[in-house]
Amino acid sequence: MAAAVPAVAALFLACCGAALASGVQDQAEQFFRSGHTNNWAVLVCTSRFWFNYRHVANTLSVYRSVKRLGIPDSHIVLMLADDMACNPRNPKPATVFSHKNMELNVYGDDVEVDYRSYEVTVENFLRVLTGRIPPSTPRSKRLLSDDRSNILIYMTGHGGNGFLKFQDSEEITNVELADAFEQMWQKRRYNELLFIIDTCQGASMYERFYSPNIMALASSQVGEDSLSHQPDLGIGVHLMDRYTFYVLEFLEEIHPASQTNMNDLFQVCPKSLCVSTPGHRTDLFQRDPQNVLITDFFGSVRKVEITTETISLDRDLAGFESKLPKDELATEPLKYAEQLPVAQIIHQKPKQKDWHPPGGFILGLWALIIMVFFKTYGIKHMKHVF
Amino acid sequence: MAAPLLLVVLVAVTVRAALYRSSLAAFISERVEVASPLNAWKRVVEGLALLDLGVSPYSGAIFHETPLIIYLFHFLIEYAELVFMITDVLTAVALYLAIQDFNKVVFKKQKLLIELDKYAPDVAELIRTPMEMHYIPLKVALFYLLNPYTVMSCVAKSTCAINNTVIAFFILATIKGSAFLSAVFLALATYQSLYPLTLFAPALLYLLQRQFIPIKLKSKSFWLYTMQYAALYLCSLVVIVCLSFFLLNSWDFIPSVYGFILSVPDLTPNIGLFWYFFAEMFEHFSLFFVCVFQINVFFYTIPLAIKLKEHPVFFMFVQIAIISIFKSYPTVGDIALYMAFLPVWSHLYRFLRNTFILSCVLIVCSLLFPVLWHLWIYAGSANSNFYYAITLTFNIGQILLISDYFYAFLRREYYLSHGLHLTRQDGTEAMLVLK
Repeated sequence: MAAAVPAVAALFLACCGAALASGVQDQAEQFFRSGHTNNWAVLVCTSRFWFNYRHVANTLSVYRSVKRLGIPDSHIVLMLADDMACNPRNPKPATVFSHKNMELNVYGDDVEVDYRSYEVTVENFLRVLTGRIPPSTPRSKRLLSDDRSNILIYMTGHGGNGFLKFQDSEEITNVELADAFEQMWQKRRYNELLFIIDTCQGASMYERFYSPNIMALASSQVGEDSLSHQPDLGIGVHLMDRYTFYVLEFLEEIHPASQTNMNDLFQVCPKSLCVSTPGHRTDLFQRDPQNVLITDFFGSVRKVEITTETISLDRDLAGFESKLPKDELATEPLKYAEQLPVAQIIHQKPKQKDWHPPGGFILGLWALIIMVFFKTYGIKHMKHVF
Repeated sequence: MAAPLLLVVLVAVTVRAALYRSSLAAFISERVEVASPLNAWKRVVEGLALLDLGVSPYSGAIFHETPLIIYLFHFLIEYAELVFMITDVLTAVALYLAIQDFNKVVFKKQKLLIELDKYAPDVAELIRTPMEMHYIPLKVALFYLLNPYTVMSCVAKSTCAINNTVIAFFILATIKGSAFLSAVFLALATYQSLYPLTLFAPALLYLLQRQFIPIKLKSKSFWLYTMQYAALYLCSLVVIVCLSFFLLNSWDFIPSVYGFILSVPDLTPNIGLFWYFFAEMFEHFSLFFVCVFQINVFFYTIPLAIKLKEHPVFFMFVQIAIISIFKSYPTVGDIALYMAFLPVWSHLYRFLRNTFILSCVLIVCSLLFPVLWHLWIYAGSANSNFYYAITLTFNIGQILLISDYFYAFLRREYYLSHGLHLTRQDGTEAMLVLK
C-alpha cells in the first residue's frame, strides 16, 4: 500500500509531465496552425473623379490599418485610380479624411501609392495578381507572394451584379476574378486569401470563386446597394462608405497581439448600421473561421514563441499535412525562356498552299472564255491558232 | 494617239509603284474611304488563308468576294500589286477606245442632224468639231489614271479596281456594238457587285439606236431585240453563277455576297449614306429602311430612260454616278470611274452653273474625311455625327455635280433645236429654267 502512493505519484507526475510535454507540443502545433509565413495586401480603388472621394478614403483606411498592424510597404500593392489629396477641388490639400470633423487623416506623410491614376486598369490588376508582369516592372509594383503567403485583397468602387467598374471605362467580371485566383492557386501564389469588396451588389463578385483557401466578404448582397456614410459639408463629398467605416472602427481596436477572429469581422456592420446586408463566403476555406485571427490577414505577425524546452518535430504532426493534392504538384520546373519554341518558329518555311480550285471549274471557266472569244471574233481565227 | 497614251500609262504606273514602296501604302490601305468591307484587300487575303486551312471563306462575316475573285487571286496573290496596276491600265485603255468610238458616233449623228436641218440657225457655236474632240479620249484616260482617288484605290489594293475594269470593258463592248460581249460583261459586272444591273437599260437603248430600231412600245422589232439582249444577259449571268458553285461546291457565296450587299449588316463608316442611319435605327424598322434605301438606287433608271432615251451614253454616265453615290458600300474607286467621263462632256462647260462651289465642296470634303476620322476615333473629341456630316456634304456635292451636268446637257439639247436666243411671245429675252 505504501509503495502504491509513490507509484501513483510517479504515474501522476508522469501524466503531468506528459501533459506538460503535450502542452508544449500543443504550443508547437499552434506554431504551425495557420501555415503562412508572410503577408501581402493588394488594395484597389477603382473609381476616379472627385465625387468618388469616399472610395479613395476607403482604400486608404484599410491601407493605414494594414500598415499599422505590421505589413510593410514593400508587401502592399496600393492602387488608387485618382488623386484626391492633391485634387484641385480639395479644400484641404494633401489630406484625405475618413471621418467628418476631420478627425482622421488617412493620407499622412508616408503613403506609398504603387499604381496611380490611369495605371489602375483591369489588365494591370490581373497582371499583378497572376504575376505576368513585364520584366521592367519595379519591385514595388509586383505581388511577390509565394505559397506561404496570406494575401488580403480589398476592392472598392462602383459595381453591379457580376462586375466591378474600373476608371469609368472598363469592367472586371466575377468570372475573370475567379479565374485569376485559380491561376494564383495553380502557380502557388497564395496560402490563404481574404477578399473584401465594398461596392454595390458586392456579393456577386465572390459567387464564382472556385479555388481553395479563399474567404470572401462583401458589403452588400446581390440586388442591394452599398451606401455611403456621411457627407462632410466642408469638403463637400461623402467621406467614406458605411461598411468600410465600421470595418475601420473595428480594426482600430485590433493590435498585433489580439486574438480576435473572423467571426467578429463577419458581425461588423449589421443591417441596422449599414442598411445593406453584408455577406461572406467561407465554404472554400479549409480552416474554421473561428480559428482564423484577424491578424492572419490584416497584420504581419511574426510567430515567435520563446521556450526553453526542446521540442522534437515529429514528421506527422497533425495539422501540418500538405494541403495540396498530390497530382497538382509540378513535375519539373519550366524555364521561362524555354516555353516557346522560338528556333522552330523563326525558321519556318512558307507553307505550301493546300487548296486548289477543282479541275471541273477551271475547265468550265476557260471553255467559256474561249467560246466567248471565238464567238466575238469568228471561227476563222481558229485556223491561226491551230 | 498611242504614244501620248503610252506616256500617260507610264507616268501612272510610276506613281503607283512609287507609292507602293513608300510608307503611305499601309496608311492608305486601312482608310475606310478607300477600302470597304466588300472590297478590302485584307479580307481577300483572309479568305484565301481560310481556304488554305480548309474552312470555307464564306463561313464567317469577313469575306464577301465572289468565287471568281478567289480563283483569280489564288494564283496571283504574290503579284497582287502588278495585278492592280494592270487592271487600272486596262480600264484606262478600254475607256480610251470606247470614247474614241463614241466620239465618231457623236460626230456622225451631229452631221446627220445638220443635214436634216434639225438644228436652229444660230447655234453654230454649239456644234462640236473633230478638232476639239481629238484629245478627249486621252483626257479620259488621263483623268482615270491620274485621279488621286484611283491612285489611292490602287495602292490600297481594293478590288473595286477590278469592278471598274469589268464595267469599262462593258462600256467598250456596248459602244462597239457587240450585243453578245456587252451582255457577257454586264453579267460579269452584275455578278461582281449587283448594282450594274441598272446599266442594262442604257446599254439596251444604245444598242437599239445603233441598230436603228426605233424605241416604240408597239414595235415588234424593239421587243424582239430587247428579248434577245435580255436572254443573253440572263443566260450568261446564270452560267457564271452556276460555274461559281463548282468552285467550292456550295451556294454559300450567294448570301455572303448578294445578301451582304442587299441587307447591309456591316455598319463600318464609309463615304456612303447607309451606315449612320442603320447604326441608330431600331430593329423594328431596319427591314423597311433597307428596302427603301436599296430601291432608291434602282429607282432612277426608268425616269432617266424616258428622258434620256436619245442619249444613252450620257444616261450610262448618270447611272454609274447614281450607283456610286447610293450604293450600300461606296468607295472612292467607284467615284473615280464616273469622274473619268467628265472630259467627254467638256463641251457643256458654258452651261454648268456650280463649278466653283462643287469643286470646293468635293476637294474640301475629301481633305476633311481623314481629319474628322482622326478626331473621332483617335482624339476622341468628335463623334460619328461629324464624320457623317462630311459624308453627307460630299454626297450632296456629287449629286449636285450630276444634276448640274444633267441640266447643262438638256439645256444644250434645247438650245440646239430652238436656237440660242430664246424669246418669249412678246419678243423680250427668255431664260431657260429647269422645272
